[in-house]
Amino acid sequence: MQTFELNTTISNLRGLRETDLSAYDAVYMGNIYCRTFENNFLERLDDLRQGIAEVKDRGLRTYVTSYAAPRNEVLPKVERVLEVAASAGADAIEVHNLGVLRMVHEQFPSMPVHVGGFANVYTDAGASVLKEYGAVRFTPNYEISLDEVKAIADSVSLPAELLVHGKMPLGISDYCFLLEYEHKWADKCPTVCQKNLFLRQGDWAMKSVGKGVLSGKDVCMLEHLSALVAAGHRMFRIEAAYETAAYRGSIAKIYRAALESAAVGDGTVDELSWHTVRQHTAVGLCNGFYFGRTGGEYVGSQGEMAEVSWVGTR
Amino acid sequence: MVELLAPAGNLEMAKAVVESGANAVYVGARGWSRRRDAYELSDGQLHDAIGIAHAGGAKLRVAINTNMQSSELPALLEKMEKFVAWGVDGAIMTDVGAIAEVHRHFPHLVIHASIGANILNNEDVKFYRDIGVSQVVADTKLTLRELAARRISGEVGIEVLIHANKCYTYLGKCWMSPYHRLERRTDDFGKDLFRGSPNRGGLDYRVCLEQWELYTGQELLESRIALKNDAFFYLDDIPPLIDLGVHCLKIQGREYPVPLVALIVRFYRELIDAYVSKPPERAFDLAPWRERLEVIQAERDARRRDTTLVLLNEARRPVPRRSA
Repeated sequence: MQTFELNTTISNLRGLRETDLSAYDAVYMGNIYCRTFENNFLERLDDLRQGIAEVKDRGLRTYVTSYAAPRNEVLPKVERVLEVAASAGADAIEVHNLGVLRMVHEQFPSMPVHVGGFANVYTDAGASVLKEYGAVRFTPNYEISLDEVKAIADSVSLPAELLVHGKMPLGISDYCFLLEYEHKWADKCPTVCQKNLFLRQGDWAMKSVGKGVLSGKDVCMLEHLSALVAAGHRMFRIEAAYETAAYRGSIAKIYRAALESAAVGDGTVDELSWHTVRQHTAVGLCNGFYFGRTGGEYVGSQGEMAEVSWVGTR
Repeated sequence: MVELLAPAGNLEMAKAVVESGANAVYVGARGWSRRRDAYELSDGQLHDAIGIAHAGGAKLRVAINTNMQSSELPALLEKMEKFVAWGVDGAIMTDVGAIAEVHRHFPHLVIHASIGANILNNEDVKFYRDIGVSQVVADTKLTLRELAARRISGEVGIEVLIHANKCYTYLGKCWMSPYHRLERRTDDFGKDLFRGSPNRGGLDYRVCLEQWELYTGQELLESRIALKNDAFFYLDDIPPLIDLGVHCLKIQGREYPVPLVALIVRFYRELIDAYVSKPPERAFDLAPWRERLEVIQAERDARRRDTTLVLLNEARRPVPRRSA
């Protein structure tokens, strides 16, 4: 019996086809940051239709995401994406913008809605309002602790989806500063933002994707999965929209195995898994805000990996 | 007539901005707004601020625009009950749940959706209208054309920031600061101040203003990346904003010295009055206003540079562990 869901985000058809999805139960399709991201599903509706069909063929659930910060001019496009998602049989829409939430609620009232991390769910009262608009699950704002997440989920009877591994979103912009510099580089828009770019200053590091800022460190909840399962959480995301297909495939396999162990009360993580995690981090690990601390801190046995020097192993 | 809304980081500033011509004043309830607690008001001071504003013929709004914890909502409602009894004219809020709760308990209180709500499109405006908001602050990145469309969206009033920061990221959708440093500190009234998280009511370390280096792998691509972050004063846009019929022009700046904020308020008061009283057939010359504004801006820029350096230094300090 399926007891949990492991999912990830993939921005385009190429990413979908290159990724080993064997450890996943569901895929979010589309890039929420930028309209000009290479062949973004949210702009190429034929690709979106095709992608939904391919994911369904594999027996996985298909979720279509939507832009995190849409201005008026983008809303007609969002509407067309919603139409494709509905007609192609997507299992849910992810919304980060409350205006889009209202659109889905009015125009596609039977479509289940997953509320995304940029929708700023911080309180049970907030989650309760969004539930009235059709939300069936929520990704809490990344700033809130696990204690707060559980209190919201329990109080509102709305399940939470948790980012368990990958780059935590830290911000979104309407402005891509990479465009100021790309003339000097071999890579240009629309692929330059995929070049594993880091903003660094001293021991600070953030990953830049042009219009978005992500954590430099990888959020890693591997050794805390038992606690998440014990708290009643069942839906987990590997946030790897700007990572390689190898990252998405390898990390998911580790988490799938660890979740299966956690489900039967085994919380141990073998050294090989840690080795793989280590291979796929450039700046180290953190827990985000889950333990009520500074987002870049790490709590647990892998403390030394919290401050990996600039290894550039990728 | 468009309303001029001014900040007050303390009672002296409240008095100064009313005397300088503000139609309305906003203050932060301590621990509950998007500024350092030093620029917020205790309940007692808030009571006095209401008196100061009303005595000067101005309205007083309270900013309770944090994304609080669920467990803090009862305390928020208790506070609002006091503020409403004292005659507060409106609440500036962000959290969707808190807005809905406050609207349910105080249906006649005017609720303004804060800049932290990051209202970007007409559907957003309708969403906030549905949950009880009657006026929204437009995101600072919106163009005049987008604001014009917003006016069409009907019965919800629009506020436009005319002195504020335009961050690299969308405000309310950024947690770069607490990713680098978050200090949980409870004040004497039991409120968690979330230092480092502006969304949750603490100060913002402005880490975006650091001089960043850009790497791919181990290769240094650029050694000086400045993420766009402008502290702006509107001037050329003021006449068209008035013509568009925006309801409120809002000045930010609770953290600046009182004389500087008073100067800014006086400047905009006179500018608005001059523009609305000119004969329609006569062109409006902004040149003399531009000269005056340059002087104000130089002083503001110097203050801002100093504040940013202090914040960036503070962001590097270790976080003291909380005692249980």
